[in-house]
Amino acid sequence: MIIQRVARWIDNRLGASRAARTTLNKVFPDHWSFMLGEVALYCFVILVLTGVYLTFFFTPGTKEVVYHGSYAPLDGVKMSQAYESVLRISFDVRAGLVMRQIHHWAALMFVAAVIAHLMRIFFTGAFRRPREINWMIGVTLLILAIANGFTGYSLPDDQLSGTGLRIAYSVVLSVPVAGVWTAFLIFGGEFPGNEVLTRFFVIHILIIPVAIAVLLGAHLAILVRQKHTQFPGRGRANTNVVGARLWPTFMAKTLGLFFLTFAVLAALGGLAQINPVWIWGPFEPAAVSAGSQPDWYVGWLEGSLRLFPAWETRLFGFEIPNPFYSGVVIPGITFMLLYAWAFLEARVTKDYEEHHLLDRPRDRPVRTSIGVAALTFYVILFAAGGNDVLAARFDISVNLITWVFRIFLLVLPPLTALLTYRLCRELQARDHEKPRPTAVLERTQSGGYVEVEEPAGAPRA
Amino acid sequence: MSAPDRERRAVNQVAVAFGVSALASLGLAAVYWQGGQNQVEGVLLAIALGGLGYGFVVVARRLLPQGPYTEERDVLPSSEGQVAAFETDLERGEGWLARRGFLLKMLGVAAGALGVAALFPLRSLGPNPGNSLRRTKWRRGSLVVDEQGEPVRVRTLEVGGVLTVFPEGHLEREDSQTLLIRISDENVVTRKGREDWAPEGYVAYSKVCTHAGCPVGLYQQDVKRLLCPCHQSSFDAVEGARPMFGPATRSLPQLPLMVDDNGLLRAQDDYDEPIGPGFWDRGR
Amino acid sequence: MRRAVVVLVGLGLLATATALGLAGAAATPSRGNDDAGVQQGRELFVTGCAQCHGADGGGTDQGPSLVGVGAASADFQLTTGRMPDTDPDRQPVSKPPAYEPDEIDALVAYVASLGDGPPIPDVDDPPGRLTEGGELYLLNCAACHSAAGNGGALSSGRTAPDLHGATRVQTAEAIRTGPGPMPIFGPDTLSDRQVNSIVEYVRYLDDPEDPGGLSLGRVGPITEGLVALLGLVALAFACRWIEPKEHAE
Repeated sequence: MIIQRVARWIDNRLGASRAARTTLNKVFPDHWSFMLGEVALYCFVILVLTGVYLTFFFTPGTKEVVYHGSYAPLDGVKMSQAYESVLRISFDVRAGLVMRQIHHWAALMFVAAVIAHLMRIFFTGAFRRPREINWMIGVTLLILAIANGFTGYSLPDDQLSGTGLRIAYSVVLSVPVAGVWTAFLIFGGEFPGNEVLTRFFVIHILIIPVAIAVLLGAHLAILVRQKHTQFPGRGRANTNVVGARLWPTFMAKTLGLFFLTFAVLAALGGLAQINPVWIWGPFEPAAVSAGSQPDWYVGWLEGSLRLFPAWETRLFGFEIPNPFYSGVVIPGITFMLLYAWAFLEARVTKDYEEHHLLDRPRDRPVRTSIGVAALTFYVILFAAGGNDVLAARFDISVNLITWVFRIFLLVLPPLTALLTYRLCRELQARDHEKPRPTAVLERTQSGGYVEVEEPAGAPRA
Repeated sequence: MSAPDRERRAVNQVAVAFGVSALASLGLAAVYWQGGQNQVEGVLLAIALGGLGYGFVVVARRLLPQGPYTEERDVLPSSEGQVAAFETDLERGEGWLARRGFLLKMLGVAAGALGVAALFPLRSLGPNPGNSLRRTKWRRGSLVVDEQGEPVRVRTLEVGGVLTVFPEGHLEREDSQTLLIRISDENVVTRKGREDWAPEGYVAYSKVCTHAGCPVGLYQQDVKRLLCPCHQSSFDAVEGARPMFGPATRSLPQLPLMVDDNGLLRAQDDYDEPIGPGFWDRGR
Repeated sequence: MRRAVVVLVGLGLLATATALGLAGAAATPSRGNDDAGVQQGRELFVTGCAQCHGADGGGTDQGPSLVGVGAASADFQLTTGRMPDTDPDRQPVSKPPAYEPDEIDALVAYVASLGDGPPIPDVDDPPGRLTEGGELYLLNCAACHSAAGNGGALSSGRTAPDLHGATRVQTAEAIRTGPGPMPIFGPDTLSDRQVNSIVEYVRYLDDPEDPGGLSLGRVGPITEGLVALLGLVALAFACRWIEPKEHAE
């Protein structure tokens, strides 16, 4: 066989057979929720594939040109090179629009999958020792994914991306002491600046993707070294992993998932229009559209900016402007808490043991309630990021809806936490009433085997 | 169904899935060749990839060994002996370093100096902010012009009308964009000390929101109120654009206007405070 | 293929425009200031409008004076069904007109006779230019009505209405008369051609090209985000299909 000959050729030079065999036999637990991280990984692969194609046609310049492409309503309109090249990709480059749309859908899905994966890790306690390093790498990957989404959203230089950049500029400007200089260095001067598009382009296509690729490599390498966690069950212990082998079964599953992920994104890219920049129009400093929104993963920051009351600090002629609290402090605390969570929890529970068996969320009611409360908090912020759209759609006053969200933000998280806690306890009690399998086999008189069940009501380990 | 039957069926399913995928790919190539069409491309690509995905999953679930297989975990921490051996080896260099503390300090100085020197080129990224956040392009006597550069006359706006204006010669300057509103047909006093700022009912406010810098483009002429569409701060156009709701803490700066002998609107001067979102030493 | 679609859409627009133009031309004579129309309008006004706007149209504390608002304003308010309205405290919204077209013409003639005001605009002369309309729309209108014409929220419970479905004449009337919270764009602010250009662009927004597929309402990132989350849910089901085994408890 040709494969065997190639393998032998490589082994003669690298002596890789032993390591390769271990890899082929690596066991992957077979729970569906373990595949959410893979969806994120494949979204990244698809982003790179479609993104490389787009770079061949995109021009990140702010130089003014006059459009004469095939989109008639903008014929003869002055615009930046960047916006013009996005119109060209959308209307004149064959297969350009489908690539662009798949790219944008994949970006939305990438962050969604990262967050779903993070929730799985959080609620099952997979971040505990020895996986704290991978937890922190994961949080960093989330930040990078959001950052790359935002830089990508900014590139087409349409009205929405300009509005987003303007708000980002104001948030940077609000940082005490260093804000003004930082904003001027990033934007190359006062907003809009002439440099920000070319700089964001380099950040978007080179710096962050490389950082993501490197950290992904580390994330996966650590995963291979530490092996997967698994849910407790028959034959599963803290000392083993039970599941399918990499070769060939898991390989086929994960390839299947890659193609299915790509298929869903291709279907969206073909059938659902995303970011029609020709409707938003080219960026004009003096224009803005009602209902301007960031992409969904920035929505919680937008909501934070909208809900935060009209407070700011003024002392001795210096000031800390309002967007600093809503746009820097709140996300800062968010990510600090995420980074620290693995250590905070170990400290509080005094549990420094190695854990390879996962918790069921109901068995850790406190952690689960905190998680649900945090989720509620961010979902409310996200919804508040669209308060004007909600107000217009449901014919409610923006002022009223803003106040409702402000109150919800303080009241609902503790409430949902309490409810979750009660629910977890309830579910635990119900588990208690059911007989449970014990993985102990007893021989029956007829010669068969039957599993011993723990009687209902027995104290739980 | 017997096991071999099930297997045969699975094989057939996979073969059909891969076949459909191949056909869709051929179709995709043909559509591209014919000029391309986004929906058809997306659907055919989805079928081509979905066929492969479906096939692989059926192979994994029906045709390949299911296990479960068990793999033992190695103990992650190294044995005490290994750690001790590592520490001994580490000692080789560490001990030397400890004895040469002075060299280490000098290395620190050199590396630190290099690091600081390497920061200097960052300065090239942007200009010195200097006064630029405190001044706009409005000057004493600047002619008020619309987006096309046409001068604004007293009759340009009706009461209840609104227009985005710039100082002549600085069209589309971000920091100078100003919202000109006609709230009345006679002189308006929005605040004490601004007695002659709004001749003929023309008031002019900086269009850059004092919260996060969006253009405050919504004017509700019936209640004479301005709204920023980004974060819903609203401002009272009659009372010097005082913030009424939302996150904005400061009024929009007002541009003092005058009418010249030809009936053209001009600025009396630049804004008397920095426009736009706040920053650390804005008040200095 | 695409060109064919564009041509078809273009023909469609032309046909509709012509039809509307003809309708407009046919309607114009009856909208003149002829005395019979004014007389009929006065009668309708006394029964249907005077309660709020006063017997002579001079206004009461329930409704504004209509002296000098002009034919454009009356025609806009009546053809969009905003007037007659029952609740003076709420913003009137678009609904099916309460009067027949000839009754509206009579009422419009009566209101126009009360004092000088903007006439019903001619949206075909001078002809508008789509491109110019797009630029003016994005700068002057999108802040309230959104780039796609979906409308938006204003402060204190007011809304800028969705523009889809407004006729060309209604669009031009709204620009000229500034109904409710909307600013007024008089002839010295926007020329007749500029108004007609905006009208063309608003018409275009009724049914713009959607080369990317389903428009998702052209609301922007909010609906896009929800669709992406649906996509992720679909993939989560795919994961369950790939790994059907329930984990042992």
